[in-house]
Amino acid sequence: MNKKLLGFIPFLIFIFLCVFLYQGLFGNPRELQTGRIGQAMPSFVLPDLMDESKQWRDSDLKGQVYLLNVWGTWCPTCIAELGYLTELREQGVRIIGLYYEQAYDPDFGDQFDINALRNEVQTMLERAGNPYQFNILDLDRTLALDLGVSGAPETFLVDANGKILLHHTGDINPRVWRAKFAPVMQELSQ
Amino acid sequence: MRVLVFALLALLSFASHSAEDKYEFANAERAATFKALTHELRCPKCQNQNIADSDAIVAKDLRDKVLVLVNEGKSKQEVIDYMIDRYGYFVHYQPPVTPATIILWVLPVLIVIIGFGFIVFRQKKASKKQQWNAQEEEKLAQLIKQYQRQEHNS
Repeated sequence: MNKKLLGFIPFLIFIFLCVFLYQGLFGNPRELQTGRIGQAMPSFVLPDLMDESKQWRDSDLKGQVYLLNVWGTWCPTCIAELGYLTELREQGVRIIGLYYEQAYDPDFGDQFDINALRNEVQTMLERAGNPYQFNILDLDRTLALDLGVSGAPETFLVDANGKILLHHTGDINPRVWRAKFAPVMQELSQ
Repeated sequence: MRVLVFALLALLSFASHSAEDKYEFANAERAATFKALTHELRCPKCQNQNIADSDAIVAKDLRDKVLVLVNEGKSKQEVIDYMIDRYGYFVHYQPPVTPATIILWVLPVLIVIIGFGFIVFRQKKASKKQQWNAQEEEKLAQLIKQYQRQEHNS
């Protein structure tokens, strides 16, 4: 009897390994990468995308729950999610844009033109929908680095006290909203 | 022909050298720290490359930040912690020892110990079976005698 049980052990190990490795096939390696959840929004002073005389600070954003959406017109997925984000805005979700510019690089001199960028953003938002209360321009990507942003689109859910509750990598669509954001929003509104 | 190959090789080594000279450091120690860090930190966008290797914009930003931090005189561990604060443990190729990851260190040792334990256990069991006493000695002598006689008879 004892021997028979012992004989089963390699089989059990085999099954365990199979389950373990099989799960690994479907894991999303981009899910884990974040260090800022549960922490306060990093402090920053950055200009408005449309008007450089206007400066935004982290303290300006406090007081209301909001989504911080990292995006850029160069990013097709960001354009694709504008429509759904606009729907969310119409449902009363406060969305603030963090404009992630790839072309700007101090090493490359003056290829970058802020006015051309503003025109492009304007046209894009008129065509695809404008979900944003306003956009923050992070030319040097310093806030993006402080937030652990690796690209676009990425979205943070921040509560009224400025605490980061969620960090989502990839687009926001109805399925992601239902599964990931809606439960937390529900909890916050109670 | 040989001259041409030598010239090409010389050019190659010059090219790789100038790529590293792009960054300037106050001393050799900082240069070494920077090099080690860019090889140890993982690009969050293209996940199987380190930040020295990757051309992603985020990898460039991380390299620039590492350069700034190293030139401020931060130690290697301080820079790693700075990046982990922002990008999670994911950003460093060497996982830390935490309750969740301790199994990576303990499991191989456990397997070796259990394996050797099993071998010792089996040997002890086997040696126990081969007990020998006077009665068996007698029986053996008898059997030998028996077969010897049979051999003589045949």
